[in-house]
Amino acid sequence: MALVTLEKIMKKRAFAPVLHSIVAALESSVVIEDVEGKLLLATYGAEKGDRYPVSVSGEVVGWVSGSEKAASIAMLLSCQAESEIEKRTLASEMLTKYKEITLLYDIVEKISSCLDTKEVARLVIEEARRVIKLSSVSVLLLNKETETLELIGEFGHDQEQPTVSWGVGIAGSVLSSGRAEIVNDVHSDPRFVEGVVTICSLMCAPLKAKDTVVGVIKLGSDQPVTYTAEDLKLFTTLASLAAVAIENAGLYEQLKEAFYTTVYTLAETIEKRDPYTGNHTKRVMEYSLAIGKNLGLSEQDMARLQLGAVLHDIGKIGVRDSVLLKESSLNDEEFEQIKKHAVYGEEIISRIASLQSAIPGVKHHHEKFNGRGYPDGLKGEEIDITARIIAVADSFDAMTTNRPYRQGLSLDEAFEELRKYSGSQFDPEIVDAFFAADVMEAFFAANSRQKIIL
Amino acid sequence: MPKVLIVDDEPFIRLLLEQTLEDLEDEGVELITADNGETALQIIRDEMPEIVFLDVMMPKMNGFDVCNTVKNELGINGVYIVLLTAKGQEFDRQKGIDVGADIYMTKPFNPDEVLDKAKQVLGL
Repeated sequence: MALVTLEKIMKKRAFAPVLHSIVAALESSVVIEDVEGKLLLATYGAEKGDRYPVSVSGEVVGWVSGSEKAASIAMLLSCQAESEIEKRTLASEMLTKYKEITLLYDIVEKISSCLDTKEVARLVIEEARRVIKLSSVSVLLLNKETETLELIGEFGHDQEQPTVSWGVGIAGSVLSSGRAEIVNDVHSDPRFVEGVVTICSLMCAPLKAKDTVVGVIKLGSDQPVTYTAEDLKLFTTLASLAAVAIENAGLYEQLKEAFYTTVYTLAETIEKRDPYTGNHTKRVMEYSLAIGKNLGLSEQDMARLQLGAVLHDIGKIGVRDSVLLKESSLNDEEFEQIKKHAVYGEEIISRIASLQSAIPGVKHHHEKFNGRGYPDGLKGEEIDITARIIAVADSFDAMTTNRPYRQGLSLDEAFEELRKYSGSQFDPEIVDAFFAADVMEAFFAANSRQKIIL
Repeated sequence: MPKVLIVDDEPFIRLLLEQTLEDLEDEGVELITADNGETALQIIRDEMPEIVFLDVMMPKMNGFDVCNTVKNELGINGVYIVLLTAKGQEFDRQKGIDVGADIYMTKPFNPDEVLDKAKQVLGL
């Protein structure tokens, strides 16, 4: 009786008093021993008479001896033991299920918030290792163009090589059939292709998003194990979770790409109107990111800095050609027109929910640190960090590029200007970061590519 | 004999916790269960278990009240109290601290975590 012992049963809080009162009521000698002869209970002055077995499912777990009345105690204990065993068996089964649920609960929580394919693979591998006996796992995604399986995550060595395409090997077979499989003796399976590492058993499940198989996940053991239907069920559940998460991650990537492409295209449209500024947007973005990186900005701030830098002049779309493209210096009225581009920019992007974070960078990139900029005359740290960065990047680029009405400054002259206006026009910390950052690399990066590349 | 008290009004949670902690019985630990706050309080007073796994949401006397009575009103400090709260259910951390709970865990609880905590408190 592995689950409980007679001693444990007799000590149960609910049962012990019942037993003792019945023994007392019998007014007869009773001795209870476990199967190894350990004395568990004896009435005062008891003498051993006949022995009656306490048994569960035919297995003796102890003895009650004494008068013939002791037989009823043996029956009571047998009955109690039987129900205790049943309870334990059920509880143990329930605990196993509960552990699985807890595990799946954890995984769902982790995986569903994950938008990176490789990270999803890593999480699934980690969880599979926790619940299933294995020596290797691999997550393989189908590349639709080449029709081959590509490894996106693994633990241990992949068991079967090559595992590359439809119908080849066990993985390829699962990919084609879309059905999970257990192969407990891989060497007797004709589909198996011997790899570098010998394994004995494997399980392979398809990664199915809706009805399409997008890949497979495979695990194996280098020790002989017999994977059960239960193992496969758990593994398949893991695979389904992974498939949904991988699909989501893919969609998110596409969405992100579409979003950035749209943003850059929008910015490029403006540049097309003013050919002299050629590639200005791209350079301002590179300089801004170099500064931001040097300042150690968070990933979130870097993202809105990038958007702000790309879109900083978007408002120029609202400025008349006669002013925007004028080749001689501007009069006051014209300059007022130009200044409006900051607010126009805000108006344009404020309608797009996903560009809200870029607003400060767009609206305030002409604010000055001393409060004498436009449009709001903000001062010091009232100006958003992204706007303060873009201000430096934008000015530096304006100074170093040729315009129809003037020759650009040399790099050294432009550096000098930045230093000169540090603290008045520019935030000195940003200027310091500009010099500390690898701006030259950004400069060459921006100029080496004529188009904005994602 | 060290004691562990399990308090939950749901029988299957009691059974699961009992099963989780079953191995401790072999180390001479007694597992006691209670299905309501009042009984739990009585057992804590009379038997001073080393550790109590205490469900928060129970009819009549809830886990917060039991914990508050034990820790603040009776000033019993030798009993380590683990509050069990249901996931998704609003849990007032501050209230947990105010009533003097030593730690709280969310249900579905992680069986390994429960066993480790009990062993740690019991010094096993």
